[in-house]
Amino acid sequence: MKGGKLLLGAAVTSVYVFLMLPIAIVVIASFNSGKYLKFPPEGFSLRWYANFFGSQPFMDATLLSFVLAVVAAAVATVIAVPAALYYVRHAGRWRETFRMLTLAPLLLPEILTAIALLFFYYQIGIGTKSALGLYLGHVVICIPFFFLQVTSALYNISPSLEEAARSLGATSWTSFRRVTLPLIKPGVINGALFAFIISFDNVSISLLLKGVGTTTLPMQVFDYLRWDFDPTTAAASTVSIAMTLGAVILVDRLVGLRAMRY
Amino acid sequence: MTAPSPTARPPGVRPRWLLAAPVLVTVAALIVVPYVNILVMSFRVPSTTKPYLPGFTFGNYTKALADPDFFYFELLFDTLRLALTITFLCLVVAYPVAFHLARTTSRWKGVLYALVLSPLLVGVVIRSFGWIILLANNGLINQSLKAWGMAPLPLMYNEFGVVLALVHVFLPFMILPLMGAIQGIDPRLEEAARSLGAGPAKVFWRVLFPLSMPGVQSGCILVFVLSCGAYVTPALLGAGRVHTMTTEVITLLDQFLWPFGAALALILSVVGLAAVAIYARLSGRLMRGLA
Amino acid sequence: MTKLKLDGLQKHYGTVAAVKGIDLDVAEGELVSLLGPSGCGKTTTLRCVAGFELPTGGRITFDGNEVTMLPPERRDIGMVFQNYALFPHMTVRENLRFGLEMRKVDAASMERRVADVLGMVQLTSMETRYPRQLSGGQQQRVALARALVIEPKLLLLDEPLANLDAKLRDEMRFFIRSLQKRVGITTLYVTHDQAEAMVMSDRIVVMFDGLIHQVGGARDIYDRPATRQVASFIGLSNFVTGRVAGRDGSLWRLETSFGTISCGAGIAPGAGSPATAMVRPEAIDLSAAPVAGAFPGRVSERFFLGNLVDYRITMSDGTLLQVQQPATAAFAPGDEVHATLPAERAWLVRDDAA
Repeated sequence: MKGGKLLLGAAVTSVYVFLMLPIAIVVIASFNSGKYLKFPPEGFSLRWYANFFGSQPFMDATLLSFVLAVVAAAVATVIAVPAALYYVRHAGRWRETFRMLTLAPLLLPEILTAIALLFFYYQIGIGTKSALGLYLGHVVICIPFFFLQVTSALYNISPSLEEAARSLGATSWTSFRRVTLPLIKPGVINGALFAFIISFDNVSISLLLKGVGTTTLPMQVFDYLRWDFDPTTAAASTVSIAMTLGAVILVDRLVGLRAMRY
Repeated sequence: MTAPSPTARPPGVRPRWLLAAPVLVTVAALIVVPYVNILVMSFRVPSTTKPYLPGFTFGNYTKALADPDFFYFELLFDTLRLALTITFLCLVVAYPVAFHLARTTSRWKGVLYALVLSPLLVGVVIRSFGWIILLANNGLINQSLKAWGMAPLPLMYNEFGVVLALVHVFLPFMILPLMGAIQGIDPRLEEAARSLGAGPAKVFWRVLFPLSMPGVQSGCILVFVLSCGAYVTPALLGAGRVHTMTTEVITLLDQFLWPFGAALALILSVVGLAAVAIYARLSGRLMRGLA
Repeated sequence: MTKLKLDGLQKHYGTVAAVKGIDLDVAEGELVSLLGPSGCGKTTTLRCVAGFELPTGGRITFDGNEVTMLPPERRDIGMVFQNYALFPHMTVRENLRFGLEMRKVDAASMERRVADVLGMVQLTSMETRYPRQLSGGQQQRVALARALVIEPKLLLLDEPLANLDAKLRDEMRFFIRSLQKRVGITTLYVTHDQAEAMVMSDRIVVMFDGLIHQVGGARDIYDRPATRQVASFIGLSNFVTGRVAGRDGSLWRLETSFGTISCGAGIAPGAGSPATAMVRPEAIDLSAAPVAGAFPGRVSERFFLGNLVDYRITMSDGTLLQVQQPATAAFAPGDEVHATLPAERAWLVRDDAA
């Protein structure tokens, strides 16, 4: 019995180490002074960060990724929140079909979706000339995650709350604005966070749909890694991790403080 | 209040479908139509100079499935074998963690849960990069081996590296559904089995594992489908020496052989989905047998 | 004060009929309970009156004005939900003000009305609390206050006491009833608890399977149930089946296999037709010695219930009767007894199962 517990403990611990190891390694490599990470590390240096922040392509890529993620999250909000509301409160006979359609971008292989979009854009003539295609691609893969977050938030609030508002004289819109929306706000913010991260980290869609001469941060890292080993990419990765972490902490602050009221 | 008129619009016939409209339009325009388009494309005649030539053909499919040296057929087989290996390894590695996380009463539970989730917040490229630093020929592990006077090992540019990195990438997708399923199992069932004389191994195989089948099933399906469609990690850790259907499709796109690429991509998805359907049927029968 | 009238109300979900055409009049200031087992259509009826469900047939009128198809916000109703449905992100005060804001009541009267109602439900000191900081009973009273503060035409309560513990439920019954009388508001009350319906209502509507079986006061329903289902839903009952032998004034003679009994009836069965009589266990008298009109039987089981003793009596033909007697009477299993079924406590019921 005791042996079994110890064995389980050891197995579990090693899996956690396995999960964190490569991420920790990237962060350590970004602060390593040498080109190749050695054990023990050769010394501390910020020169890869200096490289990163001094590189116009990397800066452009970071900016594009950030703007792309913000826009994708914002547009996905307008699409996914009403969809979740429809699915949870109103959908009738086609309920499950509707859900499958909404989740389709998640269920289908992302690389296949990217290929399909690429061909489609060429067929209708927008190709990869315009950044619009890239933005639309990111929006479409963000929708399912957003939808799932808002759906579960809606399931957690009783429909009788909306009915109570209606019985007190509120129209369906007022009842949404005054009762439903404040209660699902944490879910909406979480959904937006998810959408932001999904878009910010995406490679498959960007790989095929990025326009000529433009690139996102993960794409830039991907391209660097394919041709050469340059610790500047470790610095870029660490910055990217920090940005995601920043978004998570920001949302925790927003939702956390709000949620404490009730 | 004035007397309400009985002809006012009833509450049930408000245009509620308007809520569904944005997502339906988006999915129709950006998923349904492009997928139909890719299907049509797969029957086009390939050309290396423009997207396709006029006319339709079955040639792409016959080339993919029945070329004389079975190149693509083997590729498909390799891809499925790789996906299956990854799925199995994920299940084995994830189970103890999921069990521990579902049952622990430790105050670190929240932190451990965050540890499981956190890799999802870090992009696939970065996680693969971490493995490159570790596994490359002059990477951390091989440099350490050399420093200790041992021969370097081929850890990357082969299936080993790709499988290892993909298991890492998809592990959270296995842990989360497993954990959900195990949390739903009453711990008293395990105690009851123990009281009836079952040892830990019997409890696991006869009680815990069968009851966690829904989680096993969704985790396996998720990881299998994701593995079939993985591109970034095989491209980076395989670096042109590990070929899967996805890396091959992207290569064909670079060579402008779109119709053939479309056919290959569709074959992969259909075979992948069929594998999932067979698995779901089998494990469904298994679950019914247990019930 | 408002009169409520339901006219052939029907509600179908696809091919399933939840409410199969019911007629009901509720007078001004009256409290009427809809009583029945779950799935009997009582909640659907209430939700049709509230406007959350659209009837598939029939009419609903408030004071003669048809509201059948009006959305809930235009019906001017106050509703109390089973789970209270208090807005968790609003304080007690904000919850109460919500309905008044929807009605664009001016600030001064809003303050006054909220304060008045809070006084009525004895929660004046709780104004700034959030619902989760209140006990179940307090939440219940806030829900009541929120429904009443808008001075609605009609008060609708959907199993409002179901989530409270037994002791609190007893207190709240009387509290709600006295408040309803004081305000004088027409009220429709849904419950599956017969005791609750009997304590609180002016009239009880007993529903089964989408239909009204009986409408009446507590006494009517207990002593003179219209159908076998009503009788068995409310209190304990013995059913004795037999053949109608004839009629003596207002009483009917029912020939059963252990003897002929007399009973009242709200129906007029033909002579010779099969019929079922209902007798409450406490209405049957037991004696050791033979009594005129009593039937012989034997005590087969005895259970001590504190204030009562519960007997199972096997009659000469094998019929099993449940009899409850004060704890002072003492018969032992195996004793020969003589059971009297008083005519004024036996009642012929409609029995669709027979």
